[in-house]
Amino acid sequence: MDPLALVNELVGHLQASFDPAFVFEFGDSGIGMTQYVLWMFIALAITLIIVLVAGRRLTVVPNSKFINMVEYGYQFVRKDMGEGVIGHGYKKHVPLLATLFFFILISNVIGLIPGCKTPTGALSITWALSVVSFVYFNYWGIKTHGGWGYIKSIAPSGLPAPMVPIIWFFEFVSLVIRVLTLAVRLYGNMFAGHMALGIFALMASCFLTSVINGATVLFGGISLVWLIFLVAMYALECLVAFLQAYVFTILSAVYIQLATSSH
Amino acid sequence: METIFIINALKLVGYGCAAIGPGIGIGIACHGCCTGSARQPELAGRLFTNFIIAAALAEALALLGFVLAFIL
Repeated sequence: MDPLALVNELVGHLQASFDPAFVFEFGDSGIGMTQYVLWMFIALAITLIIVLVAGRRLTVVPNSKFINMVEYGYQFVRKDMGEGVIGHGYKKHVPLLATLFFFILISNVIGLIPGCKTPTGALSITWALSVVSFVYFNYWGIKTHGGWGYIKSIAPSGLPAPMVPIIWFFEFVSLVIRVLTLAVRLYGNMFAGHMALGIFALMASCFLTSVINGATVLFGGISLVWLIFLVAMYALECLVAFLQAYVFTILSAVYIQLATSSH
Repeated sequence: METIFIINALKLVGYGCAAIGPGIGIGIACHGCCTGSARQPELAGRLFTNFIIAAALAEALALLGFVLAFIL
């Protein structure tokens, strides 16, 4: 049996497993809970449990590994992203940044467990997250500069007068496009990564199947190579899961800094 | 059938072309970050933050291509 024909046959099933299938639906209304939303709630529950349990048992000197871990994560957000990027007056933004970081990190890591779906692999969820960030930094920009002052502060100061409208227009486009790039970056990375993992696993299993069905033993070696690729890709995905949470949070921090700083 | 296939294939080729520029840009940014933090390791944290920001700006173009390949 030709393994590539088998792959061709089964790749449709792989793609179908990424569809937002309904877990349950109210009649035929098309309203219900998709698998991504279900996993989003599970990620939310895990985040809440971790943070609340650690928050209840805070002591001056952390005395268990678990609390130390959560404190380290919070400290990371506060030092690296809050103090390092936003600078003066960062304290009131830390809650949002820490929420975004922990939620996205746990959502990404959940998807790496076989059988689970990553909530951030659905465009609607990343879209909602990026809208939260977008509304937040615009709100703080308007609150700091006032409505007209914020609109003027989009263009950097100190430009020659005829250039101001042109630069303002480009800066405005890049400001509006932030909501799109934040959402699509997270979605694209998670979706493409999981699709690549799926394809590699499918290749390995199809070549192995054809060996079992009596093809040449050479295909067994090819299957092993795909398996090594799969493990390497999985290691890379572990890095990407952390990195994308970091990038999303630090870009939110940078946008808040750009909106609230007086230049 | 044939035309639809060609149009879909051209979308993918177009996205591939759109990814060239940001790829070069992120490469240059990463080179700068690496050499900078090799010369002054104490600045590595700040350099990495700036590198992430620059990479995000360059990546925006690739992401636009990705979106356009889907919706066109």
